[in-house]
Amino acid sequence: MNQRTREYLRGRFGDHYRRVSVELPPATDRREWGYIPFTSSEGTTMVRHKSAFDVGDLGTFLTRERPRHVYFSAGRYDDPGARSMNEKGWNESDLVFDLDADHLPGVDPEEDSYASMLATCKEALERLLVFLEEDFGFDDMTVVFSGGRGYHVHVRDESVRSLDRDQRREVVDFVRGLGLEDVSQLTTVETVAGMGLKNPVEKRTLRTDGGWGQRVQSRLVALADEVREMDEEAGVARLQEFEGIGEKGATTLYNAVTNNYEQVAAGNLEAAGQYTRKLAQLFLERAVVEDGAPIDEPVTTDINRLIRLPGSLHGGSGLAVTRIARDDLDAFDPLVDAVPETFVDHDIRVDSPVERTVELQGETHNIPEGIATVRECVGVHLMARGDAEKASE
Amino acid sequence: MDAHHARYPFFESARQAVGEAGVDLVTLIREGHPAVERGRERVQRALVAGTVEQASDQRVDARTEVLSYPIARVLVSLVDAPGAVEKYAASEATTAHERFVEEFERGRQSTLGGDPLTLDAVLREFDLASVVRSDGTDTDPTEYRVAVGTYLDLAPAGDDWRLVTRELADGWVTVTRRELYDLLERAVERRVADGLPLTVPEEIADPLAAVVSEVESALATATYPRSFDRVDPGSFPPCMQALLDRARSDEESLSAAGRFALVSFLGALGMDGEAATTLVGSADESLAYAADRLDGGLYPPPSCSTMQAYDVCIDPDDRCATIDHPLEYYAEALE
Ligand code: SF4
Repeated sequence: MNQRTREYLRGRFGDHYRRVSVELPPATDRREWGYIPFTSSEGTTMVRHKSAFDVGDLGTFLTRERPRHVYFSAGRYDDPGARSMNEKGWNESDLVFDLDADHLPGVDPEEDSYASMLATCKEALERLLVFLEEDFGFDDMTVVFSGGRGYHVHVRDESVRSLDRDQRREVVDFVRGLGLEDVSQLTTVETVAGMGLKNPVEKRTLRTDGGWGQRVQSRLVALADEVREMDEEAGVARLQEFEGIGEKGATTLYNAVTNNYEQVAAGNLEAAGQYTRKLAQLFLERAVVEDGAPIDEPVTTDINRLIRLPGSLHGGSGLAVTRIARDDLDAFDPLVDAVPETFVDHDIRVDSPVERTVELQGETHNIPEGIATVRECVGVHLMARGDAEKASE
Repeated sequence: MDAHHARYPFFESARQAVGEAGVDLVTLIREGHPAVERGRERVQRALVAGTVEQASDQRVDARTEVLSYPIARVLVSLVDAPGAVEKYAASEATTAHERFVEEFERGRQSTLGGDPLTLDAVLREFDLASVVRSDGTDTDPTEYRVAVGTYLDLAPAGDDWRLVTRELADGWVTVTRRELYDLLERAVERRVADGLPLTVPEEIADPLAAVVSEVESALATATYPRSFDRVDPGSFPPCMQALLDRARSDEESLSAAGRFALVSFLGALGMDGEAATTLVGSADESLAYAADRLDGGLYPPPSCSTMQAYDVCIDPDDRCATIDHPLEYYAEALE
């Protein structure tokens, strides 16, 4: 990024901050603040360990300093401006989740377009929200488009703010389905035919009142419902599609779902000998892949993490870090809704070393090699990414 | 200071009762009140045997029992042994757990008189009334729901407690009644450990010096073999074989002292929590829990005389007459 580009972006970021007012997070003055300025050096140096007092009025700070990136801490402290974590005196932290397209399975950052990466990421976000809303039942959640390649969720329910790292890791493992190897981990065992007898029979039942056990059960029930409607031949054929289920197993299972449906539906893994368990194991593996939310663990477990400030601009994309109301999430399109108003009305001239395509505001913009006139948001996006420089007007 | 206070001296009401009685620790100590001796026993048994129950049947009076707790807190703060505070808190909690269960499950009058303690009362004591629920209609529920934040806060280590394997719906984790008791044990442990070690002023520390060194010398059992190249249950002394059988059996359960003896013995053989659990099998969850927190054999296994005192020297054989420590027995049997 050359000096002209840097000064241009910094100036326009300032214009933007004059137009908008950035909403502050709760307990602003107990949090640490940090920012990365527009500097000439290539390395990005973060200015941190600032208290709200150091920063002063946020609006004034943003319009005066015009930083490239702005962060605040998930943690709340006695003395947020102190230089070491020890001196800061940690009180509690928001529980923060980060979904980053770069780390998602099935995403190839080299090959996939920005738009398609963000779309994949939004699907992962929806899976995450199922856990946070239905399993964890959190109330105080803020969903944010990061302005870059993903989404953040800030949870501020009082019950989780005091969790330590290890406890947060339990939450991470839960939403990722990490450590679930064998479906028996999700069962209760009842020893039938008498305690202490030789060879007592173990009866395993899925624990179905929420969590992963319930996710396995709902898949079992769906299959049972499907197969039960079929005649024996079709049902057995359908069941044989599952790995490790042969004709004998499929027939046993078919009989179980037709004659003993209640038991199968209740999660009794002995309802068809070993075969129910086999199916349940397959469904567990599927559930982890299909339902798991591949969040970035270190962000959630780091109680001192600095996170992008919602409402600020992302200096690597020129997009706004955008709070998304829960009801607006379905319709939210980051490449439309996170484009700052400030940058939509004008055209500017940029210099791109190669031909490029940019999807923004619902349109595909073709950028030729060399100097071209583009809509400002497209130019800002390219320059912030380091893909183009400002050309003189 | 009543029987409840004596059984649960870490309860807020017990603390208040001590406060209201205007007891002065310095005077108690200077005058050699029986609470000092009982306080010593409390700490010593906590560190050696994993329980704070009295060893003798001769019960001290409720007041002495209540006062022995603040004295024990002072003593354990003065004892110079790694992990003493943690071990002490864990032992207080183990004993409290046993007492809770006894009162809840058997609805039995406490042996010191008074009404039996209810689960609700304990939940209120630890501010847990609003974060633990049972399914309303059942008067004797076997399952409870615990708010997930509280669950994460109190759940012990161990695979069975991993949140990912749990039923979690709308912020509530389902636990069995037995598991709820384990969570309460942790709440007790937390309460006891809170504020420890205390900063003890000299006027209290000095007159306690002799008592403290008595505890310390009980801990220093220097004369048993310390390293073994293999684990061979066939060479275990009879006491450990018997304890192992009990731990493996569904019908019997180990006493706190038995559990401590077995777990610390296995720890001394170099087994970690996982290895010990595998050897024992998963029948006894609290044993697995104890083994998990063994801290690499930090606490020496009890000697034969201690084992005898706690009634876990079981079926001694001829070789026993020649040794003083179960590990010594094992070392000889291995040869
Ligand atoms: S004498 Fe010692 S080794 Fe023998 S059974 Fe008793 S405690 Fe165990």
